[in-house]
Amino acid sequence: MTVRIVTDSSADLPADLVRQHGITVLPCYVVVDDQTFKDGVEINADDFYRRLQADGRTPTTAQPTVADFQEVYRDLAGQGDQVLSIHVSGKLSGTLNSAEQAKASLDGAEIELIDSQLASIPLGLAVLDAAVTASEGGSLQEVAEKVRQGLGLHHGLFALDTLEYLYKGGRIGKARAFMGSVLHVKPILRLQDGEAHPVERPRNRERAMRRLVELASELAPVRRLAVIYSTDADRMATLKQDLTGLLPADQIIEARFGSTLGTYIGPDALGVAITQEPR
Amino acid sequence: MDQLRGKELKQAFSAATGCLEEFRDAVNALNVFPVPDGDTGTNMLLTMRAAVQSAAEDCPDGQDPSATSVSSALAQGAFFGARGNSGVILSQFFKGFSDALSGKESLNAQDLAVAFRLASAGAYKSVGNPVEGTMLTVIRMASEAVQGSDQDVLSLWETAYHAAREALERTPEQLPVLAEAGVVDAGGLGFVILIGGALRSISGPDSSLIDLSELSRLQGAVNHGANIFKPGFLDATLEQEWGYCTEFIISGIDGRNLDLDQVRSHYQETALSTVVVGDERNVRVHIHVEDTAPALSYAESLGAVSEVKIENMDSQNKRFASGGHGAQVKGPALALLPVAQGEGLAHLFRDSGCAGVIEGGQTMNPSVQQILDAARDTGASDIIVLPNNSNIMLAAEQAAAAEPSIHVVPTKSVPQGVAALLAFNPEGPWQDNVAAMTAVLSEVASVEVTAAVRDVELNGVRVTDGQFIGLLDGELVLVEENPETALRSTLELAILSSDAIVSIYYGAGKTASDAQPVAAELEGAFPGIQVDLIEGGQPHHQYLASVE
Repeated sequence: MTVRIVTDSSADLPADLVRQHGITVLPCYVVVDDQTFKDGVEINADDFYRRLQADGRTPTTAQPTVADFQEVYRDLAGQGDQVLSIHVSGKLSGTLNSAEQAKASLDGAEIELIDSQLASIPLGLAVLDAAVTASEGGSLQEVAEKVRQGLGLHHGLFALDTLEYLYKGGRIGKARAFMGSVLHVKPILRLQDGEAHPVERPRNRERAMRRLVELASELAPVRRLAVIYSTDADRMATLKQDLTGLLPADQIIEARFGSTLGTYIGPDALGVAITQEPR
Repeated sequence: MDQLRGKELKQAFSAATGCLEEFRDAVNALNVFPVPDGDTGTNMLLTMRAAVQSAAEDCPDGQDPSATSVSSALAQGAFFGARGNSGVILSQFFKGFSDALSGKESLNAQDLAVAFRLASAGAYKSVGNPVEGTMLTVIRMASEAVQGSDQDVLSLWETAYHAAREALERTPEQLPVLAEAGVVDAGGLGFVILIGGALRSISGPDSSLIDLSELSRLQGAVNHGANIFKPGFLDATLEQEWGYCTEFIISGIDGRNLDLDQVRSHYQETALSTVVVGDERNVRVHIHVEDTAPALSYAESLGAVSEVKIENMDSQNKRFASGGHGAQVKGPALALLPVAQGEGLAHLFRDSGCAGVIEGGQTMNPSVQQILDAARDTGASDIIVLPNNSNIMLAAEQAAAAEPSIHVVPTKSVPQGVAALLAFNPEGPWQDNVAAMTAVLSEVASVEVTAAVRDVELNGVRVTDGQFIGLLDGELVLVEENPETALRSTLELAILSSDAIVSIYYGAGKTASDAQPVAAELEGAFPGIQVDLIEGGQPHHQYLASVE
């Protein structure tokens, strides 16, 4: 009996890693100009960001439905597998709720659910960890327990070009008092306790990038490292280069914010995800 | 005409949707209640499109569907496609029709009366606190007018239309906010257009008798967009905090039924502007809340949540009012309260998360009482005041001595105030913030350019009345014949590092293009620096500037 890992598209995991680790990714939904798309399946990032920046309605997002989860869980259980389903923070999305209801509806299927308290590629790193842990064997409960214990090792730092999209999407939350479009600030947010907390607001992109690298370096020693971007791949390449003091470049994962995260994080955003070495 | 067939009903609402499309902007422009966010027309249109599309799918052209199937398809489509408060009420109108026509091949006058009665009752029941003078009243008056009549179905529809139109005209008498704004209710107008549009379709050859363009009489100068409101109206409305307009559908799963009344009473207790409609399988919720998370998690505890739409009404308000009206944060744990003069600076501080701005500056120092009042108005547990002028420091400190919740970061200039602002972390305790904000004050150089008002000799510099003086960190350093030269020369004294950020705040009477040449020259002379031009609008100082 194998433990199979399930997550959702808000993990922003690159497709090759998803394939390599046999991870199942449920697409979230994004609604753009009154049309509904499956994140990453029916709309690609380039197309999404083009529409996001066009002068239309603000996109909205929706979690995978209970039926979506039921289908995936039923398939995996039907193959005789156990399921470890790890998802975006319950404080940011109701995805876990769909998962819970699907689980409750499937008698006999062995499913463990985990609220990662994370989002985007930091969630992706937690999912990769889970896939590796599962491949090392052990019961579903043992694997789930290890993954839960390691959640505190995953960190996320994001440098946004603007808080406008977070604001429009109704997820501004704690970053609300951090607006500052007049001063063109480039806010830095940190994932903490399942939410995005404001950290600093540098006045330009160069300082934001520098602070991102400094804040990431404070988390050394690192076991996994990922960089992520929404629209500017060149700046991500620079960021990656600046982080090679933490891990060699060929071990740094490159990812892209999909349409679910992109709805809130907006164009010209960068991020760093880190899994620390356990102390 | 004795009765309407399903096909005619379908056609009627399809035509009505077309009319609403034409009037969409007009309805949007009227939207002042409950929030002036200018989207009622769009919401009603999207709801109608969903209704009509559902009817088109369930009852394709070329068939002769029953009134039951058409009305139930319309109701189904409206329910799942409903947007906004007005859309949800509209969906209940169609549900009333669908309930009344259950099992009917066609629709006669008596059925129509029942349909309107159920539609009106359903609409009222769906709303947490029904308010008269809105779309609800318009629907109810239409319904009352068609009860107990012996007219045929076409005349009855006409009666409903005229009653709705009259009710619409009277909405300002019932709802003061409409009278204040000088408009009729937007949702009411949308409803009248739908009934009128449907009537025109049903009347066929006689349709020219119904002239919807006469409705423009009710709209005032609608073509001028949002500017139809009486002066002062938007200011008054925008002071109120509305949080987030939140909509979603809860669907019961696996035979777990939903309790509509329980859901409704939960949201009536915890939210504003509540509209909850549906049945035991699907419930649509529309609420206004400060914090969306608890509302959504409650929903998620009952079933699957979908079609979530969250809009920040502050930003809608602001967009609609097209500028200038800064919404205020209400009751945070820690608030930042700067003193500033000039619209640009006030906007900058508000936009950056300040709870309010105390009007004052060089020649207009706020009183201790004004500071105390402004601090209290923030509703915050702790307030950090930024005096932004050495002449105001004392008043701020006295306010702090009088009221323990007030703390002062001793900013002597606006540039220092901005530096302090950027070091503010709303999540931290006030002690840490005061320390962090005070620490950055020394990292910023402040430049002021102003006209001398008398002859004087200061710091060895001889100044003649009317000349422009440059001050660096409060010290007079030079005098020039024009303010731009004074600005550039003073900044040149201040710039040291190659990655400096220079912010120039141009004052009242100055524009970005006045300061542009100075910015270009500085960027040429100091490669690598960044120069931002920001509208300050401050009186007395032609320019304020900071170097970080």
